[in-house]
Amino acid sequence: MAKKKKNRNVGIIGVGQTEYSSHKEYQNQAEMVNEAVRYALADANLSLDDIDCVIHGNMELFEMVHQPDMWHSLGSGAFGKDQLRITTGGTTGASLVCAADNLVASGMYDVVMAIGLEKLQEGHTTGGITNMADPLWFRHLQTGALTGSTASMMIEEFGEERAKIAAMKYRILMDKHACLNPRAHRRLGLDYDQMENLMNTSPKLVGELRLIHMCSQSDGACVMIFASEKKAKKLSDKPVWIRDHITIHREETFNNFGIERPEWTMRNAARKLFERNGIKDPLKYFDVFEMYDPSAWWGLDWLREFLLLDGDEHLKLLENGEFDLDGKLPVNPSGGVTASNPIGATAMLRPAEAAMQIRGDAGPQQIRKKVKHALASGFGGTMWTVMVMLEKELNW
Amino acid sequence: MAEYFGTKIDDIFNTMEQRFLPQGAQGVDASIGYNISGEVGGTWKLTIKDGTMNLESDVGDLTGCAVVLNADAETFVGVTLGKIDAGDAFSSGKVAVNGDLTILGNVLPKVFVPFTPVVRAEAIIESMPERFRPDKAEGVNMKIGYDLAGDDGGQWTVIVKEGECFLKESLEADCTVTMRMDAQVFVDLNTGKLDGAEAFSSGKIAIDGDMGAAGTSAKLFAKFEVPGADEKHGEELISLKCVPSINQRYATGPLMGKWFKGLKEKKFYATRCPKCGRTQVPPREICAACRVRSEDFMEVGPNATVTLIDTVYYASPDPLTGKIRETPYVALFMVMDGSTPDQSFSHELNPKDINRIKPGMKVRPVWAKKRTGSYTDLVYFEIDD
Repeated sequence: MAKKKKNRNVGIIGVGQTEYSSHKEYQNQAEMVNEAVRYALADANLSLDDIDCVIHGNMELFEMVHQPDMWHSLGSGAFGKDQLRITTGGTTGASLVCAADNLVASGMYDVVMAIGLEKLQEGHTTGGITNMADPLWFRHLQTGALTGSTASMMIEEFGEERAKIAAMKYRILMDKHACLNPRAHRRLGLDYDQMENLMNTSPKLVGELRLIHMCSQSDGACVMIFASEKKAKKLSDKPVWIRDHITIHREETFNNFGIERPEWTMRNAARKLFERNGIKDPLKYFDVFEMYDPSAWWGLDWLREFLLLDGDEHLKLLENGEFDLDGKLPVNPSGGVTASNPIGATAMLRPAEAAMQIRGDAGPQQIRKKVKHALASGFGGTMWTVMVMLEKELNW
Repeated sequence: MAEYFGTKIDDIFNTMEQRFLPQGAQGVDASIGYNISGEVGGTWKLTIKDGTMNLESDVGDLTGCAVVLNADAETFVGVTLGKIDAGDAFSSGKVAVNGDLTILGNVLPKVFVPFTPVVRAEAIIESMPERFRPDKAEGVNMKIGYDLAGDDGGQWTVIVKEGECFLKESLEADCTVTMRMDAQVFVDLNTGKLDGAEAFSSGKIAIDGDMGAAGTSAKLFAKFEVPGADEKHGEELISLKCVPSINQRYATGPLMGKWFKGLKEKKFYATRCPKCGRTQVPPREICAACRVRSEDFMEVGPNATVTLIDTVYYASPDPLTGKIRETPYVALFMVMDGSTPDQSFSHELNPKDINRIKPGMKVRPVWAKKRTGSYTDLVYFEIDD
């Protein structure tokens, strides 16, 4: 796939996030949006007058609100502005970033504000996901977003003990990162001496996918502001540049668990993205990876795909602490999706947190070494993948 | 006995009998073990059967229980009161459950009224200086003695002097008035369960000394608020609940129409890509990999080889009925005979085979007796021995 032509460069000049939690009864959806919008505008030192276009995304089926962008205008203040609604399932947040990049790069708008949010407390996530399945076939079989298939495959490949310990180690590492992040929803304070206990006593959901492995259901909103190169340089001291993004979808059925397994969309997306940007060794090139990891099993398994690794390389990296904050490639300093999962915002949190790492403004979860190149991923539906590459300098 | 959040472990277990809802327990047959660790811990076994309950304590062996909950005393009390998030306690391993989790999640809430903290006489007496109203006590000087009998009883003197109120944990000899009653009567009076005049006339309260002072004393203190109940007096949170039921009709289109017609005749139809030869079950109009029309039908199955087994323990709602599914059940991924090996089909497994199923096994479909060309025509798959 040839490198995409970009009419002009696009920089991230503002990020705003609410805290993430299981309940936000003190505010309604529009008020929650308002909180994040205010943070983002303050972060970018802009007012609403500076925004040319607002794009909005969540999973409408979860909260059962038709045209939520209309209601949420009360919070975003987007009256009279051009507005778009984007709903691509789990990838919504990442799709918002891609759309904002395209809208600004095209020359259509100079400054675009993207809003990703979810108030899962006000809906039923598993019920919502189940109802999204093909009504003619598979809806009657679907179990929300839960599957033990990756756990089964990893146990088959690496043996029960090593696989279970690795998944637990990954989960505890994510919790350690989440404990640093003041906005993270679940900060459990887990420690490695609990591995053995948790992997055997945490309630089973599906197969070896246990409650402890699975992502949370969170309330929260994330807002990002994007500007053209000229505007970004004028408005911001440290804009973060979007180098490239890619979206790979697979057919909308779970037909890829046969005897022969096709290339996962994670590897397919990474391969194409790195190839067209001349990235030979992603592990070496990137300084941080914010990955959409819906469960500890998926997160660990997908690291192999995203980083184009083979065999047990990903397990070794984890076992040697290379995904820790001071490791070769820190993964999810924010704590990732097992800690906070406000679905329509989740895939946006990845590039948002990665951008804050590049700026050096990530807060307590800031990586010590300098962050110049960041990778972010989104996930949704039946194995859909979005990847976003961010850069500190405009020198690629 | 140690208290956590003002509550003892025994408060929770001893109130089970009064919180029990026989109607909710109809048709329930379950035994729940509680293994509470720590100084004040212990073991309890709760048996619910045919609308009755039985609680045993100090049960040595909980192995026969359908589910056993393990937790330390503080966590157990905290989760029961809602002071500790149950999900977090589960996730962090502070509460561990062995056995059928659905009993705790789905059965218990129907069988018991939620536990509310037990109010103790001591807490009511100790809150009196805080509830004291100096504006009502101008010129009032008195000593009010309380002599409360029973396990939670004790002796106290409340001293009102020059617009201030003090508490002494003993009965002073020179009390203006002394009230003697059972500690539970005192609690009931203060929580609005018992009327003062009625309690006095029925002899539940004995008053020594200045009867007039007893009447005056009541006005000197603000009403006792049950802990936890005061939260309800805060800002009102309005939540609206609705359960919409919407029937939908979907057109199958010619391909899925053929698939459903096939099911009626106990046949599985796949489409085959003219370019790569890939089969798709259920049939799809396009081979997305080759981006070509894929309209050639072929019959596959009916038997299949299992590739992956998803044993589901999480009780999710069936989206077609809204009812919570029975767990555990198994969702199979399999490759149908005659299908290309990269294409999986998935369906449920006959529950009788749950403990025997392994990857690589051959399975066969079980068809509904009456088939109407619907997804209900295929009941599940089972091991083909």
